[in-house]
Amino acid sequence: MTRLSPLSVPYRAVQRSASIVFALAFFAFTGGTAFGGFLGGLGSVALVGVVVIAIAGYELAYFRRFEYELTPDTLDIRSGVFSRRNREIPYRRIQNVDISRNVAQRLVGIAAVNLETAGGGETEGSLRFVSYEEARRIQSEVARLKRGGTDGDAPEPEQELLFELTPRELAIVGALSFDPRLPGLVFVFGSTVFPVVASYVDVPLPAGSAAAAGAGIVALVLLVALVSWAAGFASAVVNYYGFRLTRVGDELQYERGLLQRYNGSIPLDKLQTLTIEDNPLKRRFGYATLLVETAGYAPGSDGSNGSGRAGRGSEAAIPLATRDRVLGLVADLEGVEEPTFEGPPTRIRRRYAVRYSLVLGAATLALYGANRFLPQEIPWFVPLALVPVAVVAGALQWRHRGYALAEDHFVTRNGFWKREMRFVPYYRVQTVIERRTIFQRRWRVSTVTADTAGSISLVGGDATAVDIEVADAAELRETLNGRLREALSARREARQQSRQAALGIRAAEPDRDADEYGAESVADAENDVSETPEFVEEAEPAAAEAAEAEDVVEDTDDADDADDTDDAGTDTDTDADGAEDDEDETEETGDPFIWGESVESGSEEGDENADDPEESSDERGAI
Amino acid sequence: MNRLHPRIRLLWVARAVVFALVVGGVATAATLFAPVSIPSFVPVVVGGVFLVGGVAMALLRYRAWGYEVRDDSLYLQRGVLTKVNTVVPFVRVQHVDSTRGPLERLVGLASTVVYTAGSRGADVSIPGLTPEGAEDLQDRLKRLAIASEGDDAV
Repeated sequence: MTRLSPLSVPYRAVQRSASIVFALAFFAFTGGTAFGGFLGGLGSVALVGVVVIAIAGYELAYFRRFEYELTPDTLDIRSGVFSRRNREIPYRRIQNVDISRNVAQRLVGIAAVNLETAGGGETEGSLRFVSYEEARRIQSEVARLKRGGTDGDAPEPEQELLFELTPRELAIVGALSFDPRLPGLVFVFGSTVFPVVASYVDVPLPAGSAAAAGAGIVALVLLVALVSWAAGFASAVVNYYGFRLTRVGDELQYERGLLQRYNGSIPLDKLQTLTIEDNPLKRRFGYATLLVETAGYAPGSDGSNGSGRAGRGSEAAIPLATRDRVLGLVADLEGVEEPTFEGPPTRIRRRYAVRYSLVLGAATLALYGANRFLPQEIPWFVPLALVPVAVVAGALQWRHRGYALAEDHFVTRNGFWKREMRFVPYYRVQTVIERRTIFQRRWRVSTVTADTAGSISLVGGDATAVDIEVADAAELRETLNGRLREALSARREARQQSRQAALGIRAAEPDRDADEYGAESVADAENDVSETPEFVEEAEPAAAEAAEAEDVVEDTDDADDADDTDDAGTDTDTDADGAEDDEDETEETGDPFIWGESVESGSEEGDENADDPEESSDERGAI
Repeated sequence: MNRLHPRIRLLWVARAVVFALVVGGVATAATLFAPVSIPSFVPVVVGGVFLVGGVAMALLRYRAWGYEVRDDSLYLQRGVLTKVNTVVPFVRVQHVDSTRGPLERLVGLASTVVYTAGSRGADVSIPGLTPEGAEDLQDRLKRLAIASEGDDAV
């Protein structure tokens, strides 16, 4: 069991008491004059002192009761002063390990470590704070233990620098960033402070002409734009200064930040999708943005370590780089090139043009209506002049849309103003959804979405092939499903081989298991195809038996099944029936462990599957 | 392709009727308390439109619904205005529920819900099954999910 860094006690105490003392002081000296008078100056100081001591005591207790340990399989964290919590995080489930240090933390040499697993809105493991060396050690130990290395003699994985943000790119990122929060803050602050100030000082309100007021507004807008641009520039530089991506073994590590340093690792096999994003301006100058998606971060959260501005959940995102470098990086990471896209059929161009024209038509109509009811003339026909623009926009949208089936990836491209190119490995596909709206039906097209377990999807949407021919869509749907299966079995094979190589002795056993499983699933498959229509019919007589007999039961050709049901009773029926229908006893061996299936079959199969449960428990269901 | 149990229509139609009644009630209240005088047939018409539309949608929805347990995936097809076809590979199934809501219990039906780790189609629900059918389907999906043995569900 390891403790946090002792320096974390004073740091946390100062950090926490700073805010509380500030709040108290604020309360004592502004709002609560009566309160301050009641206690007197000395009393206030004493109160603050007591609070500070209490906080220091709490932090000391927190430190003393916080322990973590890197066991061979899990990271254990025991924490909590008042309510205790023991948490064990299996290494295989850890998605990211992030380290962050702000200026003060760097001065004292401590760092915050965040461990993310899939699912859940919050950070699953958070160590505040450990020494920086310890943080790095945890990061590399987690990576090593995840690989299953139990002995310390595993060779240090080689490092490979994948990407480094050049100063020029950093400058461009800054120049393109706007941060409206600072002016917003000033505005909020100003609007609350101004009336207070105005009540004391008689501020002469400018009583000039309309022109002066207009000029003032323009100046204000310009000022706001300028300030937010400056703030954006500063925050981008501070955030992305010294951005580097390295590949260490089978992990991706990133590093960035001027004042607050972030650095973290993402296992390569946890990458869900890669997205290349650009806009007309970036395209013109040959730049692009890369977004890396894992299942670790909650949707919409901006990283979890309070970095705030990293945005879009993924920390390893490349803010901006030349297109070639981004594509090169994608090729490096995933081994996929930019494919040639297959766009929607040409008639769809018309669909988009019509759609935009309809918007214009609606605008025209609204203006015309306003014209009828308002006293003065409005040029209501103006939107009609934009129809050619609608046609061009439709064509552009059509041209930037498309999908491609690369060797290992489903690639889609959408959008003109914000064009996103998504690379989804087949083995990451969760479900395939094909949808066709009532409008799409008219054009005989549909949309196919490959859903992944990603996080930024809530904002950005999944990889979608929009408006493709109905027949193509149906085919694509099945192809994606098929390729998912192929990709998974290929991966499984590769893994089995590597495990065999690692274990040596037990080489034969997993193989046998795999064969069994294979045979079984094939048998299952055959049964299912033959069985599907029967299935509902089998359910209905059962329902009829369940006393709602007045309903019409159409499918009664299955009478013998119904008899079975009557004889056997509902409980045992499912099992008996299942075994009979499937003619496949091995089905019952289908791992009793995971789903907590019937105990009898488990004990029957007990000796045969002696080593099966743990084998499979790390094989499947892993996130 | 399997159909849902015909009785689900009852549930859906009842739901549409209740909704139409609520809308009609709101429209009536609006007519009564509105500052301008609204002809009294308006709420009836509004309620009637919702009633007819809702019932038609419920019946069409039943006709559009279908599911199929295929060798490696669950295939669903549904949707009246927007047709949606979903393929859920068994490898991706995280867990399977069979649920019976109060209304469903009333008409003696149940549904099966299949969960994946996806972001958009994360839970796929098949309504309109008999309780036995739902449990059976759950059991079967469970077994198929086990047999398909994914190495990494995300």
